Amino acid sequence: MSVTHHPSPELLAGFAAGTLDAGEHLAIAVHASGCSTCRRLLRAVEGIGGAALEAIKPAAMKAGAFEDVMARLDRSPPQSPAPADRCADDDLPEILRHYRIGRRRWVAPGVTMRPIELPVASRSRAFLLRSNPGTHMLEHTHTGTELTCVLRGSFSHEGGRFGAGDFDFGDETLDHQPTVGDGEPCLCLVAMTGDLRINGFFGRLISPFVRL
Amino acid sequence: MSRGSQTIRMLSRTRRSMAVVRSSRLRRFGNERPGVTVEWATLIGRVAEGDREAFRSLFEHFAPRVKGLMLKAGANSDDAEEIAQETLLAVWRKAAQFDPVSAGASAWIYTIARNLRIDQVRRVARTGAVDHDAELDYLVDPAEPADDVMARNDEAGRIASALSSLSEEQSMAIRLSFIEERPHPEIADVLGIPLGTVKSRIRLAMNRLRALLDETK
Repeated sequence: MSVTHHPSPELLAGFAAGTLDAGEHLAIAVHASGCSTCRRLLRAVEGIGGAALEAIKPAAMKAGAFEDVMARLDRSPPQSPAPADRCADDDLPEILRHYRIGRRRWVAPGVTMRPIELPVASRSRAFLLRSNPGTHMLEHTHTGTELTCVLRGSFSHEGGRFGAGDFDFGDETLDHQPTVGDGEPCLCLVAMTGDLRINGFFGRLISPFVRL
Repeated sequence: MSRGSQTIRMLSRTRRSMAVVRSSRLRRFGNERPGVTVEWATLIGRVAEGDREAFRSLFEHFAPRVKGLMLKAGANSDDAEEIAQETLLAVWRKAAQFDPVSAGASAWIYTIARNLRIDQVRRVARTGAVDHDAELDYLVDPAEPADDVMARNDEAGRIASALSSLSEEQSMAIRLSFIEERPHPEIADVLGIPLGTVKSRIRLAMNRLRALLDETK
């Protein structure tokens, strides 16, 4: 998989520090699980995290903390590495198997979605979006941000072509009309805050019915 | 065992040539001083065999640091204490999984603390829908070959070189904004730069880190 579009370094650093909103967190996790370039950046930031631990002013632990931990540790012997979970009967990324995914819903002609349940209430919603080959999405803008990981197939817009493994970021400054590539359906993971605003007279007419 | 860690500074404080970094990159990974790094890694290896004295040393060094970092990042005192204790418990449980080729001891312990912090935040704000460990979100695609020691060693070396080439101000900017989550006015204060430039400095630092990681191909 050759990845050409990556998340911003700031999003990756936020993920490495564990501070992203749950929807954004999932989008970056999915991208990074398949992108060695971004994983390298994550590990570098984790290295800075290690340095921060060494440089930080230590805060005294409560009296008896060590003894408490020793008592708890007596109830849990050292573990050997857990065998990797390699069930691969699905073509979704490994990470998504730990999330509960809802039923498929119709969104627009040629487009369906499945909501992903996030572990905590989040500013963003996450869902899997499946579009038929050659689908022209309506020209739209966003009121918030939209993080997209292409899992299968491809789409294109002014920003270029986005194939499996690529990451796309959209916000209110973007006004675009993606077209799904021919050949196979495009499956994306999307984390979105705010709403889509569909442009044009027709778009405004139907936008109450296009619910994402 | 040496308690010299207080003297550890940000790696970038002493800039090293690439050649030096390459020749000792195993020991230099993370921002840890050689010697100290090797000792912590060795201690983790002994913990994997059930050595309680080794564990005590790790606890005394790292638990107060994890607590300190959590406090800096905005956790309250009880939560910070709990994460610090849980982190060291996890060090005990997962010691056998620690891979000294891929990561420094501090960076490894940092990731454990980070994951526990995410879990704790999730417990508080849980929707009831899903409950899984944050650790699972940081797993790598199983298609990735994990058994190649040379490749892991090379990868660790690239990361160490990039970190050592970052300026002190740049690694501080990354650390303060992302790891410690300090507000921009504080970052401006620590770095001695105007408030209006904090955001662009952070972006520059991250772009430079990414460029350095790409360079060392």
